[in-house]
Amino acid sequence: MNRGKLIRLVAVIAALALITAACGGTKKSSSSGTSNKTLAAAPGFDPTTNTIKVGVITPLTGPVAVIGQPLTNGTATWFKYINAEKLIGGKYKVELVQEDSQYKPDLGVQAYNKIKNDVTVIGQLLGTGVTKAVLPLLKADNAMAAPASLDADWVRDPNLIPVGGPYQIQMINAASYLVNDLSQKSNVFCSLIQDDAYGQAGQQGIDFAAKELGFAVKSTAKFTAGGADFTAQVQQLKGAGCQDVFLVATPTDTGKIMGTSAQLQFAPQWVGQSPTWIGAFIKSPLLPYLQQHFLLAAEGTEWGDTSVQGMTDMLDRVQKYSPTQQPDIYFVFGYYQAQAVTALLEKAVQLGDLSRAGLVNAMNKLGTVSFNGLTGDYQYGKASDRNPPRNSTIYKVDPAKPGGLAKVKYQFESDAAKKFSF
Amino acid sequence: MTDFLQLTFAGLALGALYALVALGFVVIYKATGVINFAQGGLVLLGGYLTYNAHHTWHVPFLLAIPIAMVLCALVGAAVERVVLRRMVGQPVFAVIMVTIGLLIIIEQVVTGIWGFNQMPMGDPWGIHRLKAGGLALAVKDVWTIVFAAVVMIAFFLFFRYSRLGVAMRATAFDQEAAVANGISARRIFALSWAIAGAVATLAGVMLSAGGAGVRPDIEFVALIAFPAIILGGLDSPSGAVLGGVIIGVTQTLTSGYQPQYASWLGDGFGSAMPYVVMIAILLVRPYGLFGTREVRRV
Amino acid sequence: MTTRLRNLNMTLHYADDLKLFKSRQSRVGIAVIILAGVLLPLSVKDDFWLSVLNYAGIAAIGAIGLNLLTGYTGQVSLGHAFFIGVGAYSAVYFGGHHGLPLPVWLIAAAVVGGLIGAVIGPFALRLRGNYLAVVSLGLVFIGLHVFHNWRSITGGPGGTSVAVPLKLGPIDFTKLSIGSYEYTRNQSFFFLVWFVVAVAALLAKNITRTRPGRAMQAVRDRDMAAEVIGVSLARYKVGAFVISSALAAVAGALFASYQQFVQPDSWNLFVSIQYIAIIIVGGVGTIFGSVLGAIFIGAVPQLVDKFSAHIPLVTKSAGGGGGFHLTVFQLNQMIFGALIVIFLVLEPRGLAAVWLRIKAYFKAWPFSY
Repeated sequence: MNRGKLIRLVAVIAALALITAACGGTKKSSSSGTSNKTLAAAPGFDPTTNTIKVGVITPLTGPVAVIGQPLTNGTATWFKYINAEKLIGGKYKVELVQEDSQYKPDLGVQAYNKIKNDVTVIGQLLGTGVTKAVLPLLKADNAMAAPASLDADWVRDPNLIPVGGPYQIQMINAASYLVNDLSQKSNVFCSLIQDDAYGQAGQQGIDFAAKELGFAVKSTAKFTAGGADFTAQVQQLKGAGCQDVFLVATPTDTGKIMGTSAQLQFAPQWVGQSPTWIGAFIKSPLLPYLQQHFLLAAEGTEWGDTSVQGMTDMLDRVQKYSPTQQPDIYFVFGYYQAQAVTALLEKAVQLGDLSRAGLVNAMNKLGTVSFNGLTGDYQYGKASDRNPPRNSTIYKVDPAKPGGLAKVKYQFESDAAKKFSF
Repeated sequence: MTDFLQLTFAGLALGALYALVALGFVVIYKATGVINFAQGGLVLLGGYLTYNAHHTWHVPFLLAIPIAMVLCALVGAAVERVVLRRMVGQPVFAVIMVTIGLLIIIEQVVTGIWGFNQMPMGDPWGIHRLKAGGLALAVKDVWTIVFAAVVMIAFFLFFRYSRLGVAMRATAFDQEAAVANGISARRIFALSWAIAGAVATLAGVMLSAGGAGVRPDIEFVALIAFPAIILGGLDSPSGAVLGGVIIGVTQTLTSGYQPQYASWLGDGFGSAMPYVVMIAILLVRPYGLFGTREVRRV
Repeated sequence: MTTRLRNLNMTLHYADDLKLFKSRQSRVGIAVIILAGVLLPLSVKDDFWLSVLNYAGIAAIGAIGLNLLTGYTGQVSLGHAFFIGVGAYSAVYFGGHHGLPLPVWLIAAAVVGGLIGAVIGPFALRLRGNYLAVVSLGLVFIGLHVFHNWRSITGGPGGTSVAVPLKLGPIDFTKLSIGSYEYTRNQSFFFLVWFVVAVAALLAKNITRTRPGRAMQAVRDRDMAAEVIGVSLARYKVGAFVISSALAAVAGALFASYQQFVQPDSWNLFVSIQYIAIIIVGGVGTIFGSVLGAIFIGAVPQLVDKFSAHIPLVTKSAGGGGGFHLTVFQLNQMIFGALIVIFLVLEPRGLAAVWLRIKAYFKAWPFSY
């Protein structure tokens, strides 16, 4: 190729390069949009169709889908109700954009990148690992997400929309119930926890309660989630003479632990955190053992309890919009998490700004949100001012109830829980 | 002392479970030389088919197990026929990858049909126990050990004395010579997959019995069975059983005693110990305890 | 000096046979690829596809290492996830805790990975084939245990966030600025990742086309014969482990710096299996295949997701429970698994072989029969 041709080729390539390079970059001096009184278009909000889009990043395949599916269905059912009967601010519909994270942080990051410009908020983000991987991106984009777990870390984060009393609170209230209501202060207390952050959260609550209420945790046994055999852990607790055992596990492991304990004739008073339970237990051979020895520390009320307004409304909407849904505590969680997201969107509409900055502002101005008894009232606002609900409900196992649980003590707040600081 | 015996018994039961999974791997490997990553999927399918037979078709439980075994065997043979048959002679890596792809498909089909929730199996063993000395022996565990022993003996008799078993051994040893002798290698391959499916069903049932219930994550036991397979030797059924037992007992004893006596090893060492044992044994016997030593010619 | 007949690529000297880019077409081809690689992040703003390609690039680095070990030297290793984790935590330690600059923590990660690989390597001398594969699997689980318990570096089971310096002189890989334009983190990171991919690919290709590469392939094909003719098995088997774990560690370090959060459970058996899948689908024993495989395994599930939305009878949202109910997400997985199966049944030697077939077709055109 001769010199002239070469020079021309290089010139063409350089021109192409400059043009394409200009397409991808943003000019440094570009200014941010101005706010005006009418509701302007924003990522995820389309004023021409009056639709607000909300993102959902949950494991919808893989083993954790057993939580992700009903969780998402709860959120979806609430928004079906909103779209049919109420509308956000009386005007706007909500559309869900769902992505499958398979409970993997890297897929969660990719899913976030995929939908972040199509949605106003991420209305559901399941998985501590996924949440922590997406968090730096939320901060960079000044966006908000609602994490679907009861971690205490989420309370003080300005980019997150937490709901419900964290795991620590559940364990503190449970301990308070055992010591004060059942007068078991002189019993031998122990704990059996999963060997990860989830287990550590529960243990933190147990340790706080032990200090406040004046008992000692004699033995703590740990296990790896998904383990095949729990004989060693049960023996350790049995050998220590445990009479009350706090349990932090997931339903699969709970079933195996209870089975092993029944077989080894170890029968303490078990108190489990909310994720330990699944409705299928009432049809399993574990039922008699569970009825006698298992209590659950969670929130809200049992499925089917019409004495609580929030539950009555929810049952009504399940009947209308998702009639095949079986009683499931994760469904309830997704349902009231959607209520929190709705409160945020309503506030943003009221303040006239559905952009990302507008939503952060709305969160700072959001007061206390009530869930009509499904979970405790959450005091939102600036991250440093927030106060999560500090009440829990204690349930016992009752096969006559639709969800298998009957409330023993409803939404109470112990003195120890009041003192826990986030 | 009772603690020790209790843990050992639990380890034996766990080992029997691993042995059932490992036997499925070994059968396929022995006949076709393929490590079947989809074995976990067959375990999953077997468990769910038994559940379905018992709950949806209302067959009594003890009859549901053989029905599910037959169905799962048919699925295994079908998979072999449709997919693996075309991979004969292809590089081993490609075949292994195909089994991984099949595993993904089976997972989704099973959760699509039966959902993600765990469901009680409805087995008659439940959480009953036998008392023996000071020990509480779970009935389900006793039956797991019995099943594993029965399968091992059945394999032994089958491979040693039956025509088909000898034919399988011949095919594994030298495929060309076997075919030259009139043994249909195609039938042998299909049969090995069918047997693997049947044994996997037993494993799936015992994993789901008792309080645990049938659920999507029973397929992951196949991964823990790998050390058992390797330990015993990839092509030895009795090695698979022995390997399973060693791994199971090691796991429970370590979980039981390590937090007390060697807590410096960290939390949860019980799940890492089987691999340490496996590595240690393999350094001494590089082909596993009973694996055939490869004859290597230059 | 080379003498070339048009399109026939006959060479006169041995050195010409070893050349990386033998024909004018391949030189033009590589120039086009480099140009595209440089222009792509500058012109594409879509964070989604950029993040997919970034993760794919990171996987490509690890896959190149694994291909050197498994494809070229024949040592099947299921323990790759462990070395990726080692690299990630090296980045956390050197870059995060000590704040050392980008080239230092990246190279330190490679060194740490290589050293640990040198310790593991001798196991390969004793074990062969499937047995080596499963022992390396044990490495993953022992690694998981160590990572879970070494809380000061890994943050224990809850994981740790990663904040490492990403500047190389005046170039800041978190927000590149060229002239008066600014680029996002994903765009800037693309350059870093794919630059390292290019370096790793060049390094690996140089190893494979020269003496060590021939020795490694001899070890793979017939190790006893290789030893007889003077190829030191110990040197090449252990050496292969060292290089492959160094590359895996680099991949892990970049992964940690990109995702800004890692947890010990991330380095599990599925990651190892994913890497094996990448090199098999890409083509065992090829460098180009490692990159193609990484892009395939990373991007195809997302592509399937995009198109499956148009398939009828499949719902986009999660269901209420009961009856046969296939969500689009389950379908995506099924299609992905089916694609792998079908692809390998049709072309067991992977994407690289498909590419070679296409090239051969056009080389002999119009006499392609």
